[in-house]
Amino acid sequence: MAAPWWRLCRRWSTTCMSPGVFEAGRRSNGRSVWFGRASWSSGPRAQRQLSALQTQKTQDPLNLKSSVTRHKSRLLCPTLRSCSCRTAHSDAKLKDPFTLAQKDLTSLYDDIKKELFVSKEELKSLCDYYFDGKGKAIRPLIVVLMARALNIHSNKAGDLLPGQRAIAMISEMIHTASLVHDDVIDGSDKRRGKRTINEVWGERKAILAGDFILSAASMALARIGDIAVVKVLSQVIEDLVRGEFMQLGSKENENERFKHYLEKTFKKTASLIANSCKAVSILVNSDPDVHEIAYQYGKNVGIAFQLVDDVLDFTSGASQLGKPSAADLKLGLATGPVLFACQQFPELHAMIMRRFSSNGDVDRAWQYVLQSDGVQQTNYLAQRYCQEAIRQISQLQPSPERDALIRITEMVLTRDK
Amino acid sequence: MLPAVRSRLCCARSRRGQRTLSLFSSSGPSNWNKVVSDAEKIVGYPTSFMSLRCLLSDELSNVAMHVRKLAGTQHPLLNTARGFVYDSRNNLQMRGLVVLLLSKAAGPSHQASSLLPQDMVSGIYPSQRNLAEITELIHTAFLVHRGIVDLKEWTLSDGPLKDMQFGNKMAVLSGDFLLANACTGLAQLNNTKVVELISSAIGDLVQGIYYENANNSEEKNLSSGVDVVAWEEQAFLSHGALLAKSCQAAMELAEHDKEAQRLAYKYGKHLSLGHNLNSDLQPFVKSSMTEPMLFSLTSAPVMFHRQLVGQERWHQQLQQAKTLRNQLDYSKLLAAVKSEKGVSSAVDLCCYHSNKALEAIQAFPSSEARSALENIASAITKF
Repeated sequence: MAAPWWRLCRRWSTTCMSPGVFEAGRRSNGRSVWFGRASWSSGPRAQRQLSALQTQKTQDPLNLKSSVTRHKSRLLCPTLRSCSCRTAHSDAKLKDPFTLAQKDLTSLYDDIKKELFVSKEELKSLCDYYFDGKGKAIRPLIVVLMARALNIHSNKAGDLLPGQRAIAMISEMIHTASLVHDDVIDGSDKRRGKRTINEVWGERKAILAGDFILSAASMALARIGDIAVVKVLSQVIEDLVRGEFMQLGSKENENERFKHYLEKTFKKTASLIANSCKAVSILVNSDPDVHEIAYQYGKNVGIAFQLVDDVLDFTSGASQLGKPSAADLKLGLATGPVLFACQQFPELHAMIMRRFSSNGDVDRAWQYVLQSDGVQQTNYLAQRYCQEAIRQISQLQPSPERDALIRITEMVLTRDK
Repeated sequence: MLPAVRSRLCCARSRRGQRTLSLFSSSGPSNWNKVVSDAEKIVGYPTSFMSLRCLLSDELSNVAMHVRKLAGTQHPLLNTARGFVYDSRNNLQMRGLVVLLLSKAAGPSHQASSLLPQDMVSGIYPSQRNLAEITELIHTAFLVHRGIVDLKEWTLSDGPLKDMQFGNKMAVLSGDFLLANACTGLAQLNNTKVVELISSAIGDLVQGIYYENANNSEEKNLSSGVDVVAWEEQAFLSHGALLAKSCQAAMELAEHDKEAQRLAYKYGKHLSLGHNLNSDLQPFVKSSMTEPMLFSLTSAPVMFHRQLVGQERWHQQLQQAKTLRNQLDYSKLLAAVKSEKGVSSAVDLCCYHSNKALEAIQAFPSSEARSALENIASAITKF
């Protein structure tokens, strides 16, 4: 907690593979190293990674045992391997994370709507708009599973604490409020197959609706009555805004740029998951080491989640439409795949600096990314973060919920939308 | 460093020249300014450093840099930024000031508690100073968010759409930034009751502004039945709730009892309503005008007027005030409102709220701070 997260992450990366992430990336200049020390195979790397990805997708996602073997084959360092093995043996009957958390999440959206109490009909319908039960609710899912895993770890069996249930709800509210504002900032007109709030009601009202959801979340948070929890989740709100500000600028220097990208990813996505996990830990346990495990799991899963999201921006929809959305490029944002591709194709540098604003930049950048192994490298990086998440969560006492959290890292990596 | 930020913000101003409308300043008479500047001396230094920290942050300097690009456009953020510069110079942070004065007037905590009298500076606890700043941060955040432009209502003749998109982006981000700082500041106060109270004030503020928007569209104005009760409800949400709840929270932070909290809330509520009436009345009471002042058709004197003359007559007056180009001649309408009792009713209501505010603080011990609060409450009835 004390050191900035990226320093931790860097420390972690240097302990795991001798050249640090950034140095390795630069030295390889896109041609070979990156994971050059890897003992897991030989042969042309791109092909290898591609086939690994394909296996991943075709395999039954519910079968953890096979996926753990897959993990093992990919692992780089022995320490990670050993803890991953431990997980495989810890529990025989495995449940789907969604099924496991279902009973805790059935009333989620109804509870949220009750928090959004407002007499004016129109404002109410704006606030409820995205709480229609069609979202993935991945944050509440993680929070609920983490809370149960931590309760068992702390020998407090039984139901979720009311405060923990509230955190699950608040995490989804904060997330939604930030989505509503992001859509205005990005000028998006579609989200989850619906027209965005700004598209239907205009920008002014959309911003107010976002503010209202945030104030309701903040009230619910205060009502839990634990000031430490309030502090932890207020930090998220600040991180979300700072992350958004970080998206405004581009860095000239390549190493800086990657660090900037990962830091932004933490603030915009991982901070909410990490700090929500920490908050449910604070509510049941007084041991700071346990809080740190919960936080580290959330942080690593969160970053992996966003890295995969950035990859999907290039790959998803490609099969159906023949063309990816490349929404990030259109917004002028250089995400993981582009940053990696830039090491192979320095031509991208100028485009990144002008935020893909010249005619044809978006198409050209997209071509470069597909010709490079930026997608594979980003996927690989996401796997590394998931490994770390597994390593962290494996320190808790075994429980079905703990194993479901491990399963979630799988789902994060294999999702295709 | 401050001048650097300031000059950056000023750049935005200089190109467009004179400021037309500041969302920050009240157009009150010099009497008001004197009352306020006297009161500021009582609370020692007027603010803590939270807003300064925000102003100097990388994020806001970044915005300030970008706001330059908006110079010459119509985006409201420009006016807000301009007002911010003016305001920090004039120290017209009325809400924060009232919170500090009330904190001082209520004095140290009587409960045996963790609060130590020696922590007080000029008779105010540090947490109360932070609260005063948070109140200002929230107020400023919503001044910025109020200025978001609906892009679909923007026509090309108003200027390039790209400017408006960019202005919106800056306005959303800087408003969010101020709100986020308010959130972390609130958490640092170490009191979940205060966090809940101020969060609910943010919710009220949003509802008030939302309601404000709905009422401003003219067609609705003409048809819907509007009255003074609705005006007061709306004014409370969009202006009063934040001050009232901040005053209450200041008492909670010093562990004063429920009764003190209730009185502080009451003072804040009535003061804002009175202050709001005073602002609404300005166009109707100022005698020497070089150009006719615009006023809202939902401002208090107009609302009273409409209630008094009835819907039908009001429609007639609106028709009569229409120019050939189908625009409203505000000086004509002004005369129509002035000819009836709407203005004097609004003045009466203003006095009522002023008295209620005075009444609320009589329970606090007599002090310099209390006198300042009395002066402020009296000043809102001077025109």
